[in-house]
Amino acid sequence: MSFRHQALEIARVDLRVERRLGDVMRIVLPFAVVGLLVFPLALGVDLAAISRIGPAVFWALGILFGTQVALRQAAHDRPEKRDLYSLLGVDPAARFVGRSLSGSVLMTAFLVVLLVAMLVLYTPRLPDGWPWPLLLVLLLTAVGLTELGTLAGEVTSGLRNRTALASLIVAPLALPLVIGGSQTLESMAHDAGILPWLMLLVATDLALAVAGVALARPLEEASR
Amino acid sequence: MNRIQILLVTAGAAVVTGLWFAFTSPVDRLQGEFSRIVNIHAPIMWVAFLAFGVTALASIMWLIRKTPRWDRVGEASAELGVIFTAIGLFTGMVWGQAVWGRAWDWGDARLATTAVMFFVYLGYLALRRATPDPGMKARRSAILGVVAVIQVPLVYFSVYLFRTLHQTPSIRPDGATMPREMVVALLINFAAVTYLFFALLLARIEVARAEERLAGDPALAGDAVKPPRLTEVEDV
Repeated sequence: MSFRHQALEIARVDLRVERRLGDVMRIVLPFAVVGLLVFPLALGVDLAAISRIGPAVFWALGILFGTQVALRQAAHDRPEKRDLYSLLGVDPAARFVGRSLSGSVLMTAFLVVLLVAMLVLYTPRLPDGWPWPLLLVLLLTAVGLTELGTLAGEVTSGLRNRTALASLIVAPLALPLVIGGSQTLESMAHDAGILPWLMLLVATDLALAVAGVALARPLEEASR
Repeated sequence: MNRIQILLVTAGAAVVTGLWFAFTSPVDRLQGEFSRIVNIHAPIMWVAFLAFGVTALASIMWLIRKTPRWDRVGEASAELGVIFTAIGLFTGMVWGQAVWGRAWDWGDARLATTAVMFFVYLGYLALRRATPDPGMKARRSAILGVVAVIQVPLVYFSVYLFRTLHQTPSIRPDGATMPREMVVALLINFAAVTYLFFALLLARIEVARAEERLAGDPALAGDAVKPPRLTEVEDV
C-alpha cells in the first residue's frame, strides 16, 4: 500500500469513527455556540458593541473549541491500535498526514458552522468581498490547528492529565493562526493587502507539516 | 572552589559591572532615569530568545544522538528561558508604566506575543513534569522543544509585522540611534547577562546530573533490611 493510500485510508477510518461517535458536531459545536450566546448576555444590550466584538469572539471560541476538536477522543489511538498499525507496516508519517487530513475536514466544517452562527447572532459589519478570503483563511487555520492538535495529542498520549496538558500546549502555539486569521479581516476592512497574513498562515501550516512528518517516528515511539 | 562556583562568582561580578555602567551612563532626555531599565530589559530578553534557541538545538541533538546530556541541556535552558522571560516581562511592564502610563498595553504586539511565548514554554515544563518515565520524558519534550521554537521568530519580528508601540532595535548594522556611552553600557550588559546565562546553564545541568544520580541510587529507607535466605530459614 502506497504512502498516499495509507494516509487516505486512515483519514477515511477517522471520519467514519467520527460519524458514528459524533464528538465534534453533537458535543463540541453546540458547546461553542453556547459560548457565542454567553458573550452578548454578559455584555448587556449594546448592539453596536456586540456587532463590533463578533469576529474577535469567533476567533477566540474557534481556537479554544477547535483545540477540543483536534484532541477529540476518536483521534486518539490506544496502545493496541498503535501496535496493530506497526504490525501492518503503516508509515508513522502517513498516520500523521491521514489524521491531519481527517481533522482538517472536521475542523473546517466546525469553523464554518461557528462562523455562520456568529454572523446570525452578532451581525458584524464585514468588508466587501469577504466570503472567499475568509473561507481560505478558515481552511488554512483548520489545517494548522489540526496539525498542532495531532502533535500535542501524541506527545501527551497516555498521560493522566492529557486533555488539559495538550490544550495548554496547543492554545499558545496557535497564536500565529489567530493573528493570521483575525488580521486578514482587519486588513480587508482597511483596504490593506492580505497577502502577508495569508503567507503567515501558509508558513505556519508548512512548518508544522514538515515538523509532523519529520518527527513522526519519534512521535510514534514517544506515545507508546 | 569548583569550576561551577568560579563561573557563578565571575558571572555575578560581570552583572554588577554591567549594572554600574547602566547607572552611570547618560539617560534619555524624555524618559529620564527610567531609560536605564533598557540596559537590563533588552539583554534579558535577548538571553530568553537564546535560551529557547538552545532548547530547540538540544532537542534536535537528543533526537539524533539520544544521549541524556542533550535532554539535560534542553531542560536547563527551557527553565532559564522561562525565568528570564518572566523577568523581561516584568521589567518591560515597569518601564511601560513609567513611560506609557500603563504596565500592559494591547497596542504593543511584542508584549502580548512574549506573554504567549512564556506560556508555550510553561507548557513544555508542565509536559516534562507530567511524564514520569525519564526516557519518555526526554523524547516527548524533545519533540515539543522543536515545535515550540516557531514562536520565537514571531515574537522577534512582531515589531515589524504590526503597527506597535514597541520600538525597533536601537543598535542596527547601519549604526546606533543612541549616544556612544549608552551603546557601550548596553553592550556590556548584553555580554554580562549572556555570560550569566551560560554560567547558570552549566550549574543547572550539574544539578540535573546530581538529581539523576540520586534517582538511580537504590539506597533508600528500608534497603538495609534484607530478607532471610532460604538456607537461614531452613536452619530455624
